[in-house]
Amino acid sequence: MKKRYFALIVLLLSAVLLLSACGKSEGNTFKVGMEAGYPPFNWTQLDNSNGAVRIQNSAEYAGGYDVEIAKLIAEHMGKELVIVKTEWTGLIPALTSGKIDAIIAGMSPTAERMETIDFSDNYYTSDLVMVVKKGGKYDGATSIQDFKGAKITAQLNTFHYTVIDQIEGVQKMTAMDDFPAMRVALESGIIDGYVSERPEGISAEAANSNFKMIVFEDGFKTSPEDTAIAVGLRKGSELREKINEALAKISEEKRMELMDNAIKNQPGE
Amino acid sequence: MDFNIIIRTISKYWPMFLRGTGVTLFISTIGTIVGFIIGLVIGIIRTVPVPERGIKKQILKVVNAILSVYVEVFRGTPMIVQAMVIYYGSKQAFDIDMSPLFAGIFIVSINTGAYMAEIVRGGIVSIDKGQFEAAYAIGMSHYQTMINVVLPQVIRNILPATGNEFVINIKDTSVLNVISVTELYFQTNSVAGNNYRFFETFFIASVIYFILTFTVTRILRYIERKIDGPENYILLANQMQVQTPEDALHKQQGANINR
Repeated sequence: MKKRYFALIVLLLSAVLLLSACGKSEGNTFKVGMEAGYPPFNWTQLDNSNGAVRIQNSAEYAGGYDVEIAKLIAEHMGKELVIVKTEWTGLIPALTSGKIDAIIAGMSPTAERMETIDFSDNYYTSDLVMVVKKGGKYDGATSIQDFKGAKITAQLNTFHYTVIDQIEGVQKMTAMDDFPAMRVALESGIIDGYVSERPEGISAEAANSNFKMIVFEDGFKTSPEDTAIAVGLRKGSELREKINEALAKISEEKRMELMDNAIKNQPGE
Repeated sequence: MDFNIIIRTISKYWPMFLRGTGVTLFISTIGTIVGFIIGLVIGIIRTVPVPERGIKKQILKVVNAILSVYVEVFRGTPMIVQAMVIYYGSKQAFDIDMSPLFAGIFIVSINTGAYMAEIVRGGIVSIDKGQFEAAYAIGMSHYQTMINVVLPQVIRNILPATGNEFVINIKDTSVLNVISVTELYFQTNSVAGNNYRFFETFFIASVIYFILTFTVTRILRYIERKIDGPENYILLANQMQVQTPEDALHKQQGANINR
């Protein structure tokens, strides 16, 4: 009897493994990778309101500016949009290995990244800001040099982190994995501020009243390729031309409108 | 920390927490069971007595070498690295398109298998040598000795270590988000990214994780006690074939019931 149970369990297990191994067949799809945790560019929500798209292998939906752009690109290419939710560190390996066709995740086309992947034309450009505690020591700063002696960090593997060196006498902290981690650090006082981009700053401020976004009069010196955001593609991808065509069709007003909608629609508490 | 925010977060995002918990529990449970089986098999193979000469010796040597490499490699590299290499590497190098869930279970299984192999080996080594000798003396093969004599004791002895592995797996599945597995940590991170309330959201996650691990430990404790049987019991038959006072008592009671 016991042996029979054991055999049954083994059989069941192997069936489960086999079933989960069978992926969906590749069709006429456009697979886009994103974190779905970086509002207003991309986020996760529970229903398909505001034009959110179902995440692959998941019951949740992804919404945001990136999703809207991805929808327009997919429409132009005549393909079905598939959203693949992956952590930031997994995005580039997912792209180069062919698990996804494009990264639309608020990613800037830096020179370093361009060594491994290609980028489309820009679909967004933003300013760098600093997010600090409201009413804290650095609330009211206007220049990046006001942050002398402050504990500042930014997201790992982004240019946000390298520009911190432009502040004289700053205490550059270890780079952090994602924005949630930095927000925890800021709220708990481990850091005095983190470098971010304007849309993220606005939404951080809107969602948590303890946060204040500092827009600099005398800001970081950045190259346009850093502050721009583009679609990441495999080296020599044949999709690039089509995507650039699709992006060219989206007017500047339309982009502003999409971003305003995204900031407005992003889920709060 | 605000208690109202916790309530609001739970009432709004409970399906995400629930699904994340489901995925975490699913991967860690199957991964631990499969890993346990892998560990048992490897443990048996690695303790096969090596004959002095002959083809069997050569085969055993090769197999043992391969198993050693497996154990050392998967025990000696972090699971997050294995996940990246196996999931993305298999696609890039061999064009094998694993689903994230399958890849997750696969990685947790082989990882646990590597640890369990050593735990099982330790368990087998700890069994008194005399028992092996006795079993071989009455003509049992290595396999029979293992199944009938050694493993029942080994499994009981390594249950606490298995519980450890299970608890570790529940917590370590949180690294699988790099391969798109939407387990509890990834879901929590998404919720925190939405509501910007980190302490509250991660506090919920920590409570869920604790409930999971605590329940698992309790269940394994229960199984341990079940295997141990009652602490005091009366032997039904003793080897001396002499009636003891207890036997007499039993017979009497039995007779009373029959009447």
